[in-house]
Amino acid sequence: MQVFLQTLVGGLSLGAIYALVAMGFSLVYRTMGLVNFAHGDVVMIGAYVASTFYLSVKLPFIPAMAIAIVVTGLVGVVIEFVLRPLENKDFDLMLIGTIGFGIVLQALAILIWGATGRAVKNPVQTGPIDILGARVRAYDLVVLAVTAVAMVLLVLFLQRTKRGVAMQAVAMDHEAATAVGIHVGRSNAMAFAIGAGLAALAGGLAGPLLYVAPTMGGSLGIKGFAAAILGGFGNMPGAIVGGLTIGILDSFSAGHFQGYSDLVTFLVFTVAIMIRPTGIFGERTVNRA
Amino acid sequence: MPRHELVVATVLATMLTTAACGSPGKSNETEDSGTGPIKIAVVDAQSGQLSSLGAWESKGAKLAVGEWNKAGGINGRQIQLDIFDDQGDPTVGTNLARKVASQKYIAVIGTAESAVTLAMAPTLQQAKIPNITSGQSPAMPALGSPFLFLNGPTSTTYDETLSKYIVDTKGIKKIAMITNNGSYGKGEHDAFLKTLTARQVTPLADQVVTTDQKDFSAALTAIRAKKPELIFLGAEEVESGLIVKQARDLGITATFAGAAPQGTPVFADTAGTKNVEGTIVSTPYLSNDSSEASRKFAAAYKAAYGEDAELHGAKAYDGTNIFLTALKSSGVATGDKLAEAIRGTKYSGLLGDFAFDETGVGIFATQIGVIKSGKLTAAS
Repeated sequence: MQVFLQTLVGGLSLGAIYALVAMGFSLVYRTMGLVNFAHGDVVMIGAYVASTFYLSVKLPFIPAMAIAIVVTGLVGVVIEFVLRPLENKDFDLMLIGTIGFGIVLQALAILIWGATGRAVKNPVQTGPIDILGARVRAYDLVVLAVTAVAMVLLVLFLQRTKRGVAMQAVAMDHEAATAVGIHVGRSNAMAFAIGAGLAALAGGLAGPLLYVAPTMGGSLGIKGFAAAILGGFGNMPGAIVGGLTIGILDSFSAGHFQGYSDLVTFLVFTVAIMIRPTGIFGERTVNRA
Repeated sequence: MPRHELVVATVLATMLTTAACGSPGKSNETEDSGTGPIKIAVVDAQSGQLSSLGAWESKGAKLAVGEWNKAGGINGRQIQLDIFDDQGDPTVGTNLARKVASQKYIAVIGTAESAVTLAMAPTLQQAKIPNITSGQSPAMPALGSPFLFLNGPTSTTYDETLSKYIVDTKGIKKIAMITNNGSYGKGEHDAFLKTLTARQVTPLADQVVTTDQKDFSAALTAIRAKKPELIFLGAEEVESGLIVKQARDLGITATFAGAAPQGTPVFADTAGTKNVEGTIVSTPYLSNDSSEASRKFAAAYKAAYGEDAELHGAKAYDGTNIFLTALKSSGVATGDKLAEAIRGTKYSGLLGDFAFDETGVGIFATQIGVIKSGKLTAAS
């Protein structure tokens, strides 16, 4: 029982990171119909910026994260600005453009911070808490709390604010949206910025859990993308559920299948998607071909 | 119209045939031109999770070449060192091996990762280019390539010395193992298990993780349940650092033990200095202070790069020096003759006295160190 609980706890903390990454993917997809393949590398940039302000500039953790979110949000705006000529005209080229941006971001990270990477100290100094025989790191609880808050804020923004609703309108029919006076370019820029901000949040929180290196976006991006699809691509609560599911699935398959854990995780994911292609929450907002 | 098409077709066919005839990488012997700079390639991970190893190796190699070039090079020729990034990926490494062969490099220093070295070995053997590597997997000497040399001991040596200290000297019998399923981790797993079996010790737990894994709760909880006194680590720097960090978070107080990766600053930083206190490390290069030669090396390294030298830089420094010594003694030979010259070179290096056998291994002993306050010190 203890092994079960501990494995569950271990899966939840990484699962929360996957959930945040998935939310970023889903947001950009929901508002632009675009899969941003640079998202994983934006997470990496966020992690680097947050850790630079936290370790070198010696700011406290929360201001460092805030600055990272703003800076990375700007990176998102730049990406959208460069790809804007392709928006609504050539979808596939835009997709490839994001792949290219991912490569550029990795190379930039190596140029600025070097190839080696750095370890980030845990900002929460209290030791692990004992819950029902499983040891839970205080930091993991922080990550879970932040993820929950981020999801609530995002859903409120998308459904209750004018800008958020406008963003969804653009995704449904961008010509009609322009007809009612929504500036499509600016709406997309905001979507990218918020998506990048979420990525920075994920990266900054993941730093103390993992190791910040230029290639960290690779596996986080793939698992986050899988999580987004599992929960229903474009659905915010779905991203959370998908993320936690992938995290827990990963943890349990590592426990039972050891060296073959990746294989099992993605096999289960494939079967799940084959059974229900629209994901757990069955999301169908975007009418892209 | 048909005649026009015939002309185009003929031109195309001629171009394709010429291209096919001129394809690179087919030479069986790499010839050295006799004048101009001596071309040596360094192939290592300059990006990716293993890039710290590549960075250290290139620095060690560059330091050695710089010293030789300042002293006048070899037979009046300067040594040209070019660095190639294999990204820690065996596929990229194989492509680089072909590239290096076609661009007429006469020797390769690297890589630090056993998996990539193994992938490159057949191509380099066919091109007859000697290669000295920092990897320690026993699969490399097992290849039997006369062009592959190791600038350090194999996992077998590392783990035999480690086992001897842990089981024979310290009397610890309750041992758990956690290794990854990559080339290095698998080599370590098999080598250490063999030494334990020879001492009639059965590990309490034998957990295998993937090279990419980030969460080790399941494996570590299983290990914690068995209450071991010592946990053997068979994974690279960052991964083993994460394992130690998560183990301490789970309340595991056992001592850790391992080979080369556990002696690096990256391991200690990732795990947290407090968490690695007391870790037992088997390494041929204990510290920069162990001898007059190592102090001189460390000072030169610090002056050139502004950071402290460590094992991998020292290995590459030794390896490059051995190659350069062989080049000098053989009058800049290439291919078979260079390989023979390298095998015959007896070199007293930072890691010890090198004497290569037919499988390419030159060093057969390591020492035991213990991490105290984040620094590796000799075990008492």
